Amino acid sequence: MKATVVAGLNRGARGVGLALGLPVLLFTAWWVFSADSTSIFLPPLSRIVEAFGQVWFSEVFVRDVLPSLRRLAAGYAAALLVGVGVGYLVGRWSVVRDLTSPILAYFRVLPAPVLIPVLLVAVGIGDATKLIVIAVGAVWPILLNTADGVRAVDEVQLDTAAAYRLRAWTRHGLILRAATPQVFAGARQALGISLIVMVVSEMLMSTDGLGFTVIRFQRTFAIPEMWSGVLLLGLLGFGLAKVFETIERRALRWHRGATGREESW
Amino acid sequence: MSTDDALLRIVDLGKSYRARERTVDALAQVDLTVDDGEFVAVVGPSGCGKTTLLKIIAGLLPATTGDVYLAGRRVTEPPADLGVVFQEYGRSLFAWKTVRQNVELPLRSQGVGRAERRELVAEALDAVGLGQAADAYPWQLSGGMQQRVAISRAIAYRPRLLLMDEPFSAVDAQTRGDLEDLLARLWHRYAMTVLFVTHDIDEAVYLGQRVVVLGASPAGVIAEFPIDLPAERDQLGTRSSARFGELRAQVYAQVRRTPHLEEVAP
Repeated sequence: MKATVVAGLNRGARGVGLALGLPVLLFTAWWVFSADSTSIFLPPLSRIVEAFGQVWFSEVFVRDVLPSLRRLAAGYAAALLVGVGVGYLVGRWSVVRDLTSPILAYFRVLPAPVLIPVLLVAVGIGDATKLIVIAVGAVWPILLNTADGVRAVDEVQLDTAAAYRLRAWTRHGLILRAATPQVFAGARQALGISLIVMVVSEMLMSTDGLGFTVIRFQRTFAIPEMWSGVLLLGLLGFGLAKVFETIERRALRWHRGATGREESW
Repeated sequence: MSTDDALLRIVDLGKSYRARERTVDALAQVDLTVDDGEFVAVVGPSGCGKTTLLKIIAGLLPATTGDVYLAGRRVTEPPADLGVVFQEYGRSLFAWKTVRQNVELPLRSQGVGRAERRELVAEALDAVGLGQAADAYPWQLSGGMQQRVAISRAIAYRPRLLLMDEPFSAVDAQTRGDLEDLLARLWHRYAMTVLFVTHDIDEAVYLGQRVVVLGASPAGVIAEFPIDLPAERDQLGTRSSARFGELRAQVYAQVRRTPHLEEVAP
């Protein structure tokens, strides 16, 4: 028992080492090779890190980072709600599927940022436009994956639910729960898309936010500050992906178990 | 409509599927009556429509012709008082729910109160020997134990008729014997009516009070054998008795007489 715990810890330490090793190496290399850079566009990393502290640990965080996060959260939440809801309908009823599949095929390939000029005219420059663009960009992988997952729910489970006369809402819940592996796969993709669309929409039509700030730094030739914005966006994406992964691991423990990817006792 | 002791009456039942341009008859002219409290085993060659029959009885599939009556009422949707245990235990249990939650689920939908629910679930889990595993997840259990969970779910539901579709065909021989004896005990204890579908003739004779033989597709009832073995049966004694051998041979001869699907096909 004790031996396995120690082995587990060792494996954990090894995993952390492997995960951190390359980033640390690259960061160090960047630091060393950029140390005496005189190019205005490629400032030394030390300068960027310095700017990072000055720019982001200030009221800029409240003024620009928080609004970005708020838009991201709202747009992503809307995409989840609509994607799972419509995806369920599409996956469950073939009539809905047949009706919507040409439209879905069209909108799925439409790049979301192209809606920005349209929405600018129709909705205005406010947060609503950004929210809509983020949601429109992120909804497709969620919708399509949910539909696939719902459609693929095991017939034996459906028969079981029907034979035991489970309530309609209970049955909907079971089907959706059975589809969560696919829903999560879609939601993970959508998270990345949300971040991209958020930045783009802020670059094009905003007076605050991360995307806007990066552009502003670029236009005022505050190059280290601009780089620090890029760095922050990367870290933000990484952090969100980690949070997502943690939630997913918890929610899909049964799936790993049932498909033999977790030890039984 | 219903007379005497019949709990289940199947009258002139037929089922055909449309497959491309042709129609496939899965069942034709099935007539069967099961008395209240009876244990009836249904055997037939593989692919003969046993599962189709069971799904129609459970109200999961509409019949093409004929009717099914459960306790005098025509079956048009899954009836109350009916429990089902499927062959694929791994797929009929909900993997994200614990054993207890799986067993409890149908009771919740029935609106059974909390206290009574807890009691029914605890008793049903004890009855199948899984009292200790209530908080485990199905995928943490062996195949035999998972099928016990499915049986327990049916027991807790207190059905008058328990339908079982080849429930033990996916577990090893040792476990299978244990599960057969468990089922026989539960049948006595809860005074249920059991309709047990299997392709295993030995199992049918060992468990049933009556064995019904379905013919090859389109399947109808081609023979019935009352099993006059003593009520108390055990794996060793019963299976090695002379009478078991005779009955087994009779059923076997009848099943063999009906050609298998594979052999009919050109």
